[in-house]
Amino acid sequence: MTLYRNLTIKQKQIVWAWSFLALPVLFYGVIRFYPTGTAFVISFQEWNLLGSRTWTGFDNYVTLWNDPVFWKVFKNTFAYLLIGTPVSLVLSFVIAYHLDKLRFMHNFLRMLYFLPFMTSAVAMAWVWRWFYQGVPIGLFNNILAGFGIPQIEFLNSTTNALPAVLAPAIWAGLGFQVIIFMAGLRAIPVSFYEAAKIDGVGWWTVLTQITLPLLKPTMVFIVVFSSIGFLRIFDHVFNMTTNNPGGPLNSTKPLVLMIYDTAFNGFNMGYAAAQTVVLFTILLIVSLVQLRLLRSE
Amino acid sequence: MANLTLRNLTKSYGSTQVLHGINLEVGDGEFVVFVGPSGCGKSTTLRMIAGLEEVTSGEVLIGDRVVNNLEPKERDIAMVFQNYAIYPHMSVKKNIAFGLRSSSLSKPDKEKRIQEVAEILSMVPLLDRKPNALSGGQRQRVAIGRAMVRDPAVFLFDEPLSNLDAQLRTQMRLEIKKLHQRVGNTIVFVTHDQVEAMTMADRIVIMKDGHIQQVGTPAEVYHMPENAFVAQFIGAPSMNMLSGTLTVDGVALDAGTRFQTSQTSGTPQDVMVGVRPDDLTLEAGNPVVSGIVTVREPLGHETLIYVDTPSGEIIAKASGKTPPEVGAHVTLSADLENLHVFDAETGLALR
Repeated sequence: MTLYRNLTIKQKQIVWAWSFLALPVLFYGVIRFYPTGTAFVISFQEWNLLGSRTWTGFDNYVTLWNDPVFWKVFKNTFAYLLIGTPVSLVLSFVIAYHLDKLRFMHNFLRMLYFLPFMTSAVAMAWVWRWFYQGVPIGLFNNILAGFGIPQIEFLNSTTNALPAVLAPAIWAGLGFQVIIFMAGLRAIPVSFYEAAKIDGVGWWTVLTQITLPLLKPTMVFIVVFSSIGFLRIFDHVFNMTTNNPGGPLNSTKPLVLMIYDTAFNGFNMGYAAAQTVVLFTILLIVSLVQLRLLRSE
Repeated sequence: MANLTLRNLTKSYGSTQVLHGINLEVGDGEFVVFVGPSGCGKSTTLRMIAGLEEVTSGEVLIGDRVVNNLEPKERDIAMVFQNYAIYPHMSVKKNIAFGLRSSSLSKPDKEKRIQEVAEILSMVPLLDRKPNALSGGQRQRVAIGRAMVRDPAVFLFDEPLSNLDAQLRTQMRLEIKKLHQRVGNTIVFVTHDQVEAMTMADRIVIMKDGHIQQVGTPAEVYHMPENAFVAQFIGAPSMNMLSGTLTVDGVALDAGTRFQTSQTSGTPQDVMVGVRPDDLTLEAGNPVVSGIVTVREPLGHETLIYVDTPSGEIIAKASGKTPPEVGAHVTLSADLENLHVFDAETGLALR
C-alpha cells in the first residue's frame, strides 16, 4: 500500500488506467490478435482441421489466383461495395436532410427508419426472401401481376440476384446512417444558414457550399463504416440463398461466404485462411484510401 | 435614403406575446443601439428587421418601403452574428465573397469590392487564411467584411462583441464606431452591455419585457432617465434608490432626511429618490443619507464604498487615495439637481 501511496499523481493515473485496460487488452490479445496472426500462418499451410499442418509456401495463394470462382467472388464483393456504399450514402443523406426539417411525427419517423437496424439480419433476410418469391407467394411479384407486368425472377437470375440481395442490406444499414447524418446536420450552427439567407443565396448553393462541406467528417465516417460493412456482407446472402449458397452460378457469392464455404464445407483451412488474408488486405487498402481521399487538409 | 421605421411592431409565439407595439424611427446614417436585459425582445426585433422572424403585426419600413413580406435578401440589409457565422471551410476571401454571391456585379467588380473592404478592415494579408487560423477579433472583422461588401442600406449587429474578451471588446467597439464614421451606413446594434450602448450609440433604445422604455442620446438616457428601470440599467454601478414621500414641501426620505425639490405633490405620494454613486460625495453639501461603511472596492483613481444606511445598502464614490475606513460612520451628500424622483408605483420619473 505504501508503495502505491508513494507514486506521483501521474503514476497513479497510469496504474488505474492500466488496471481498467487490462481486461480489454487481454481480450483483444487472445480473442482477436492471436487468431488473426494464426490465420496469416495457416494461409501458408495445408490443414483439414483434424490432421497435422504441413507447410506449402505460397501454394494457397497461387491456387486462389488461378481459381475462377475467386475472381467471380472478388467481382461480387466489389459490386456490393461500389453499389451499396454510394446508394446508401445518398439515400441516408436525402432522408436525414428532409427528416431534419420535418417537425410532424419526427420521432416516430426516425424510429421507423432505425427499426431495420435493430432487427435481426436473419429474420429480415427471410422476410425479403418471401417478398421475392413468385406468384402467388411473393409480395413484389403479386403486385407486378396486379398491374399485368410479367414475373421477375429476383433471386434465381444471375443478373437480378445480387441487387436483390443488396437491397435489404442497404435498407438495414440506412437507419443507423440516417441517425449519424442527422447528428451531423444538427451540429451545423443555425446562424450559418441565417447568414446565407441574408446573403440571398439559393438552397442549392447552401447545400453544396455550406451543408455538404461541413458534413465531410460525418461522410468520411459513414463511407468507411458502410464500406467495411459491404465488404464483409454475409448474413443477408447466406440466408436469402440457403438452398443454393452464393446464388445461381455464384452470382451473389461474396468473399466471406466463399471463406465460410472453403473452411467449413470443404475443410480446407489453409485455403480459407489465404482468402481471409486477401479480404483483410482489401479492407485495409479500401479504408486507408478512403481516409486519405476524404480527409480534409 | 436608408432610414428605418418600425410601426406598432408586435411578435407573438403562440399565445405568448414577446413584443408589444414597438415604434421607432431611425434616421439615415444613424447608429442606434438596442439594449436591455436578456429576454427583453431586442434580438427578436433585430431579427424581424432582418427578415429572419415573421412579423406578427405592425410594419417594418426600410427606406420608406414596407418590407414585411420581403425575403431577407430583398431588404438591402446585412447582418453580423454573435458567433460570426463565418464558414470554417472557406478562406477569408471566399467568406467575404459569399456576401456577393447573389449580386449582379461582374467578376472584376466583385474582386475590386472585396479588395476595397479588405483594405478598410486592414485584412489584405489575411485574405487567403482559413478562419481557424485567425484570432477572435480577426474573425469578427471577417464577419463585418462579409456584411460590408454588400454595401447594404442598413447594417444589423446581433451582440457581435459578446464572444470577445474584455480588452478586445473595447478595441472592436472603437473600430466599429470608427468604421461607422467612415462608411456612414445606418446601423442597428443589439447588446446587453450598457457600456457598449453608451459608448457607441447616437441614440440608445432601452427595452424591457417587449416594451421600449426610453429612446434617446446617451446623455439623455443617463441624465434624464424616464423611469426607474432606465435609471438603474444605464450607468455602472447602478443608481441608488431611496424610498420616501413627496409632499407640498418636497421629499421626505424614510430615512429621515428632508429636502426641497422642484417636484411637489398636494397629496402625499410614495416616491423613489434615485441618486448615482458618482453624485454622492463625502463632502459637505446637502446631506442625503448616512450610515456605516461595510465594504470598500478600490478601483485606483477612486474607491467604491458600500454604506449600510436606514434606506438599505447605498453605493457611493470616495477618493482613491484616502477612502474612509470600513466601519466608519459617513454622511453622504448630493446636489439637489442630481436627485431623480420616481413614482414608487409606476416607476415613472416625476419632473
